[in-house]
Amino acid sequence: MKVSMKRCAVMLIVVFLLLPLTGCWDRRELNELAIAVGLGIDKVGERYRVTAQVVQPSEVATSKGSAGYSTPVTTYRASGVTIFEAIRKMTTISPRKIYAAHLRVVVIGEELAREGIAEALDLLSRDYELRMDFYVIVAKETKAEDLLELLTPLDKIPASKIYNSIQVSEKAWAPVSAVTLDMFIRDYESKGKNPVLSGIKATGNEEKGKQKSNVEKLQPDARLRNNGLAVFRYDKLIGWLSEEQSKGYNYIVNRVKSTVGHVPCPSGDGNIALEIIHSKSRMKTEVRNGKPKLTVDLRVEENVGEVMCQADLTEKSVIDALEREAEQSLRDIIERTIKTGQEKFHCDFFGFGEALHRSNLRVWKQMENDWEEHFVDASITVNAKVVIKRTGTVDNSFIVDKER
Amino acid sequence: MPTNTNLKTQTNLETNIEEIRRQTCYSDDLIIRKVRVGADSYPIKIALLYFDALSDEQLIYQFILEPLMQESVSMEGRQQSELPELMMDSILAVGQISKFDSLDSAVQSLMKGCVVVIVDGYTEGFIIPMAGWEQRAVAEPTNQTVIRGPKEAFTENIHVNIALIRRIVKSPNLVMKSRTIGTMSQTNVSVMYMEGLADKDVYEEVFRRLDSIEIDAVLESGYIEEFIQDETFTIFPTIINTERPDAIAASLLEGRVAILIDGTPHVLLVPSLFVQFFQAAEDYYHRADISTIIRGLRYFALFIATLVPALYIAITTYHQEMIPTQLLISLAAQREGVPFPAFVEAIIMEATYEILREAGVRMPRAVGQAVSIVGTLVIGQAAVEAGIISASMIIVVSITAISSYVIPEFDMSIAVRISRFFFMGLAAAFGMFGIFIGIVAILLHLTSLRSFGVPYMSPVGPFNFGDQKDVILRVTQRKMNKRPSMFGKLNPFRQPNPRRWKRT
Repeated sequence: MKVSMKRCAVMLIVVFLLLPLTGCWDRRELNELAIAVGLGIDKVGERYRVTAQVVQPSEVATSKGSAGYSTPVTTYRASGVTIFEAIRKMTTISPRKIYAAHLRVVVIGEELAREGIAEALDLLSRDYELRMDFYVIVAKETKAEDLLELLTPLDKIPASKIYNSIQVSEKAWAPVSAVTLDMFIRDYESKGKNPVLSGIKATGNEEKGKQKSNVEKLQPDARLRNNGLAVFRYDKLIGWLSEEQSKGYNYIVNRVKSTVGHVPCPSGDGNIALEIIHSKSRMKTEVRNGKPKLTVDLRVEENVGEVMCQADLTEKSVIDALEREAEQSLRDIIERTIKTGQEKFHCDFFGFGEALHRSNLRVWKQMENDWEEHFVDASITVNAKVVIKRTGTVDNSFIVDKER
Repeated sequence: MPTNTNLKTQTNLETNIEEIRRQTCYSDDLIIRKVRVGADSYPIKIALLYFDALSDEQLIYQFILEPLMQESVSMEGRQQSELPELMMDSILAVGQISKFDSLDSAVQSLMKGCVVVIVDGYTEGFIIPMAGWEQRAVAEPTNQTVIRGPKEAFTENIHVNIALIRRIVKSPNLVMKSRTIGTMSQTNVSVMYMEGLADKDVYEEVFRRLDSIEIDAVLESGYIEEFIQDETFTIFPTIINTERPDAIAASLLEGRVAILIDGTPHVLLVPSLFVQFFQAAEDYYHRADISTIIRGLRYFALFIATLVPALYIAITTYHQEMIPTQLLISLAAQREGVPFPAFVEAIIMEATYEILREAGVRMPRAVGQAVSIVGTLVIGQAAVEAGIISASMIIVVSITAISSYVIPEFDMSIAVRISRFFFMGLAAAFGMFGIFIGIVAILLHLTSLRSFGVPYMSPVGPFNFGDQKDVILRVTQRKMNKRPSMFGKLNPFRQPNPRRWKRT
């Protein structure tokens, strides 16, 4: 009995001594957070201009009946010599400290991207609060701050609209690449591959897009659109890929999950849409006589998705012809894309250098310092293999002879 | 208070009566009935003493008074000295009868409802147990209800309770040993175990601890439990109490020891292990797969009941990055305008709930409606609508409250609720780190406990593979052919193969 009283007393004392000693120092209630979902970085003169898109939770959560009092997000802007300073400086205009763990996208203005973004990204990779799962994107032909101030329908939070549309578009349409910060840094550091980032463009009337009326209209005044890939040499933007080239890029680096393409009908009076349901590619780089040879092996499984002409899909020969046609069109896309890299950008953003590094270290060691020159001269071989699996719920189209 | 004089019975009837009256302080409910037996020539005075309402008067009339008065005719021709022997052998039509020669034992028997018979001129009297009073019938259990299974519960009468157990286990090896504890209450405490199954060390330890109790009154099994438990400095119960005879029978057959206390329907079981507080009697009556799933659910509920408010506090105040963005925004929206930190909010709601729960037990049944209306309105609506408490906190508190009642033993569910506050404090001060420190501390504490020498956390820690058949899993009856090694070492096999028929 005596022992337990003593133990009880000791434990109580220990507990009460612990409480004032430590704890609680980094405690933050949910309503003390300014949840930043988007961060825009621009450069104005020598100073960085940072825009934070912050959620107004009560406007986003649907259950509360206060709908319509204000916009679902608000933005804070501040500039500073360093980005960290700029973000902290936001407390001069914001009642809450920016909380960036739930960041969905970091938008970089095209101007800054052309100057180089490595310096701007260090904070994001260093700060403990940030997670690595946000996408880094480039604002095409505009400043990041303008892009983050557009309101979007369907998804109330513009940053999460951008995030989701990149994700969905990458899965279903392919000419988009969801690049996270760590992927960018890895490509930036690699000698055998240069980074790409997705681009976003604002279309329509930007000024009207910043008002709440933008989301009240059936056809909004301004929209955000995924717009091809931005090619970087090291950390500097050097140009943009078209939609077709972006798709080609994703075929080469094996990032196509599903997309749709078309081939002309065998009869020549219409098109047949083919849905890619599975795509697997492998890059190879070999060096013959001091000249690199770039090879892309591609195996694609497709379904017939849409037939706009008369074609006998029950015939194996027709299907075979379609497969050959599709292979040819894939080869063309890929070759054109690699050529763009060689001729327009003089820059290997596909990672053929890395492929060489993996397959032949000795040769790579000789070539790594002037790889781009070798890359530009390299010959290209594309081996595409297409298999058509299914034709949908009908065999032949109901379309009868168009001459009738 | 009359002193205990250890008086011998005198030959004089009146002296004896006077002494008994003196020892019972001349209470008015001591009934003294004097009868005269034998022939008129040599009448013998006999006195019956008993307490009103403690003894069954009908039985006294029928089996003591009537034979005595009628037998007086046949007394003729017999020696007067033969009377006591005659009474015992052929007159009194009762089963248990014993002689006494000390007035103290007579008084003690009186207090238990016996009839004391004193014959004038003899130093020996008889004690005839004739206890009989109004009592509750065997009813359905109120705390440990089942859907499938026997619906009998123990009553306040220890004899009925023993009978309930013996009716299930009809084995001559079922031992019952009695003790009387309480200088004033003279409470009958019985220990039951299976000879050849129960560990001798355990039941001798039970006797040793019971015999060392010095107390004036034992009113409930809780008194005994507190005196015999291994560790008092813990919130976790180390002795199970149950009101189900089937549960006791099952435990006896595992080699455990039951302690029955007169005056309460709650029977104690030792040794008791942590995992047994999560086993309901019904687990063994349903199919094994169903029981296993339900048992898993119970452990899950244990997790919810101890940790969910703490996790909620820790995650929303320290680790917001762990919440999915959509959920975070919705939680943040609910917290807009809430004036308290999450911890204070949680404490307010938990305290409110505990008050409501206690009120629900304590209040007169007639005002139950009022309490439940106030409870629903206060907890469910007003607090949220006034913006004092966030809606998500209500959800957290409700799910925790419900979960704690999934645990079949009430003692354990209280322990779980207390530890919940401990975890909430740690979460508020140290976040997840605090919660994990708390879990480690509780686990260390649990593993340090013993119940009558058996480690409290066995068979999980120390781990025993064979005993896992009945911890989280409940394997089929066919596979449960061995007794738990913690208790049933003496006779480990129930039977080698319970199902001997072959599928054709």
